[in-house]
Order: sequence, then C-alpha cells, then structure tokens
Amino acid sequence: MDDSRRKPDSDGPVGSTEGTPAAVDIPDSRFAEIPPDAEKVLPPADSVAGKASRAFLRRVPIWPVIEFLSHKKVPRHKHSFWYTLGSMGLFFLIVQIVTGVLLMIYYSPSQPWSSVQRIVMEIPFGGLIRSIHHWSANLMLLALFVHLFSTFFMKAYRPPRELTWLTGLALLGTTMFLGFSGYLLPWDDLSFFATRVGISEIEKTPLLGTWVAGLVRGGPDVTVDTIGRFYPLHVVVLPLLLLGILGIHLFFVQVQGVSEPDSFRALTPEKKRYHRFFSEYLVNEIPIWMALTALLVALSALFPRVLAPEADPGAAAPEGIKPEWYFMVPFQMLKLFPGSLEFLGMALTGLIPLLFLVVPFVDRTVPADRRGRVVARLGVGFLAFLAGMTAWGILS
Amino acid sequence: MGDMVKRDAPAGPEPNRVDKGRRRFLWVTGGLGLAWLGLSAYPVYRYIAPRPVPDPFGKEGRAAVKKVSPADVAARGAGANGSYGQRGCIVFRTPQGELKAFDSKCTHAGCNVNFAGDSISCHCHGGIYDFDGKNVSGPPPRPLTPLKVFEENGVLYVAPSDQGKEV
Repeated sequence: MDDSRRKPDSDGPVGSTEGTPAAVDIPDSRFAEIPPDAEKVLPPADSVAGKASRAFLRRVPIWPVIEFLSHKKVPRHKHSFWYTLGSMGLFFLIVQIVTGVLLMIYYSPSQPWSSVQRIVMEIPFGGLIRSIHHWSANLMLLALFVHLFSTFFMKAYRPPRELTWLTGLALLGTTMFLGFSGYLLPWDDLSFFATRVGISEIEKTPLLGTWVAGLVRGGPDVTVDTIGRFYPLHVVVLPLLLLGILGIHLFFVQVQGVSEPDSFRALTPEKKRYHRFFSEYLVNEIPIWMALTALLVALSALFPRVLAPEADPGAAAPEGIKPEWYFMVPFQMLKLFPGSLEFLGMALTGLIPLLFLVVPFVDRTVPADRRGRVVARLGVGFLAFLAGMTAWGILS
Repeated sequence: MGDMVKRDAPAGPEPNRVDKGRRRFLWVTGGLGLAWLGLSAYPVYRYIAPRPVPDPFGKEGRAAVKKVSPADVAARGAGANGSYGQRGCIVFRTPQGELKAFDSKCTHAGCNVNFAGDSISCHCHGGIYDFDGKNVSGPPPRPLTPLKVFEENGVLYVAPSDQGKEV
C-alpha cells in the first residue's frame, strides 16, 4: 500500500520540478484503498495479475459490485431447468448479432434479392450463415416464449419483480419486431406479401394507423423504399433498443436475485439448496450452449432457409403463403373474422399483450392464494388457445 | 452566481422574487428546449415522411398492361395476372365475351389476388371474388377496384374505370 503511494512520485518524469513536489501528497486521495476482503482473494501483490488487478481496483473501486455478484445464487429444485431459458435466449441473441454482422458484409439494400442470392449461391458458407440466422431467430423466439410461460407458471412476476416482467415483455415485443423487419430484407415473394399484410393491419388501427403505416412503408405500398426503412431498423435501431432493455432486465434480475417458487420458499433454510451463479451455475450452462450450437448447425444443414423467387409487386401472392409460426395467431384471426368483423378479430389479438401486461398487478400474493390459482388456470387455458391457433394455422 | 444569490437571500420578501425569477427562467429554458427539439425533429420527420408516388396512369390517363397481351385474353374465359405501373392487375375475358380488368390488390389485407380461370382467389387468407370483382367468400370486406381495359396497336391498356370514356 505504501508502495502505491510513492508510485506516482517514482513514475514522475525525472528532474521535473514544477508541480511534482505538490503532487506528492495528492495521490493518496485520488486512489481508492483495496478492501481487506478483496486482499484475501486477489492474486499475490507481486505477481503481474495481482499488480494489474490492484491498480484497476484503486482506480475503479467496484469491489462491492464484484462481491455482490459473487454471492449471487440460483435455487436448486425440480423446476430449476426453466431458469436456463433466459440464458438460451441470450445465447441465440449473441448468435444473431454475429451472423447478422456477417450477413451485412454482402447484403445490399439496393439489390436485396440478388445480394442474398449471392450470399447463398457464391459466398463460402453463406447459405449456412443465413440459415443459422433464420433458425436462431426462430429458436430465440421459442426460448423467449417458453421463458415467458415458465416465469408465468412459477409466478415470478409477483412483487417485487413487476418491472422485470414488464421489461421481459418489452424484450419479446422488440424481438418480434426484429423478426418482422428482418423478414422483408431478402425481398422474395414470401417476404413481400408478409410485409404488405402486416403493415396493412397496422394501417387499419384507428386514429394513427394510416399515418404510421405510411411512415413505416415510405409510401402507400411496400416498395424497395420500405427496405430502406426496415434495414436500419433491423440492424441498428431495434438491436440497440433490445440491448438497452436487456441491460435493464438483467440489472433488475441481479439486484433482486432469482425468484423462488412457492414450493421452494416453503422449505426450511437447511433444506434449501443453491447453486452459486459464479461460476457453478454458469459453467453448467456451457454444455447447453454447445448443444444449442450443434442444434443450430444441424437444423440449418437439414432444413436450409429457402430463398423464394424475387418479389414481384404485380404478381399474385404465392399459393400456401403463411407467416412464421410466431405470427400464426394474428394470421388465423385474420382468416376467422371476415369482412366487417375483422376489426373485432384484430382488437382481440391486440388484447393478448395487454393481458400479459396486467398479470403482475392482478396476482400479487405470496404464497399463491385463490386468485393466484385462478390466474394460473387461466394461463393454462390461454397457452392452450395460443398453441391451438398456431397449430391450426400451420396445418391449415 | 446563482448559488450566491440563493445563499445571500435567506429571509424576507427576497426569496419570493428569486423564486419568480427562477420559475420564469425555467419556463424560458424549457420553452427554448422544446423549440430546439421541435426544430431539430422537423427536418428529420420530413426526411422520413412517405414520398408521393407517381400516378400509375400518368398524364395520358392510362397505363400499359405488362405481362398480358391481347392474345392471352382472346378466348372466352381466358385471363392472367399482369401489372401496370408499380401495381398488379388481372385481365380476363368473361365466358360471355366481355373484356374486364381489376386492380389485383385484395381488399382484405393487401395481397395480390390470383386469376385461376374459373375464379378469382387470394392465397393469403382465402378470399374469393366473382367475375364482377364482387367479394363472395372469405374475409375480404369490399369488391376489387375495377379498371377500364382496352386494346390499342396490339397492347392492352388500363385506365381508371370512372374516367373511362374514350382515349
């Protein structure tokens, strides 16, 4: 410690007289002390790592943060598996960022279809990287939906975790918008009509619908100008938004700790078993992430993403056209509510996110009371409704 | 400077005057801030606002049909999907021998309908129209937009149906 106090002095330029004598006393207050707890775990002070870590902690005194994180623990019980869904979503997000940046190297928004065709046909591993981007997007949404419903059924949304739940919903919504905006970019006939339908539904929203739809499309119809809007949305605006909200979401999770289900909470302290997050729990995630990598490569090799014929704004919509599975519920609702009833169908679809938003404000009691059990049962019915509509849409 | 005023006027009527001055200052600053944001946002909004699209029928009030030739619609019941300007259309001859054309944009969710010989249908959500463009089945809420169609020098042209007298 004394060593460090003298350091600025000894490091100072040799023979520089102005300023140095006065500066000798100041360094003490400029640098933070190393807490005794930290001294116990840091590498030896004479090693390079020890010197570097101490120099860092003196300048950026974040030891309390490190200590807080080192105490983070994850409950161990028979439902523990579901805790990994969030980390799966994070894994797929990282894959999306890496493959997305790689696709940007050859993708050109002014020649959307032919540049994607070049990626698939000419660039080594281009088809694989595009397919992984497609499959990872789908699995990311699947992981997020399962994460949503597992936190729902474990009732992790109850106070004090309402904001964590709401930021999670915002993350799911942003990810769906990322899926929608990325879908247009290859400019094949599937993506063209999917975007036309999607924006025409926005257009029918009362009050601001027409204005928003025109702004999103860049005109009264979907054209290459629409790609000019979707491309920066997909690669800059929405990813930044997603990372920002994700930062808040994870920060809340760190501060609040992992939610314990009622069955675990009821145990006596001796019976409660935990994993330490660093590194016990984290290390156990690595084989899962490796398995997911293998899954992505296998899916991409066996079912590569097709590039349909280039969009022709004049041609008829291709036969059997359907959206991705995560937009199947509104798709079915569009078919089920004809003519003037369409507005009713879209209003009902619009209620779905609202139902999720109000859950933590309706069901608040720990352990679950009668109302909590009713909410859980409604959740089962609602999940069955969503799954049924999706399956119906896929099979029809 | 502001700090000094605060500290030098601890009691009496002085704080009131200071408060008023501070309030006015905040209003002016807030107003200027809003004006600054508004002035910055206006060009950005104009930049991203939708661009006007050229009239598909142009000055002549008509547009050539691409991908469908008069020979394609010579026989009764024959027809095809084509396009005019940036838009899609269907052109066909009814079993009664009348030449008809409709804008192909489905009135439901905006896909392009398909002329399949015996029917006009939309692959997206299963809408069906008859040869008058009337929505007869599925979710479409309105009939298709009719177009006037005619042949000139071996090329098919479409024009807005309500204008269409003589070209």
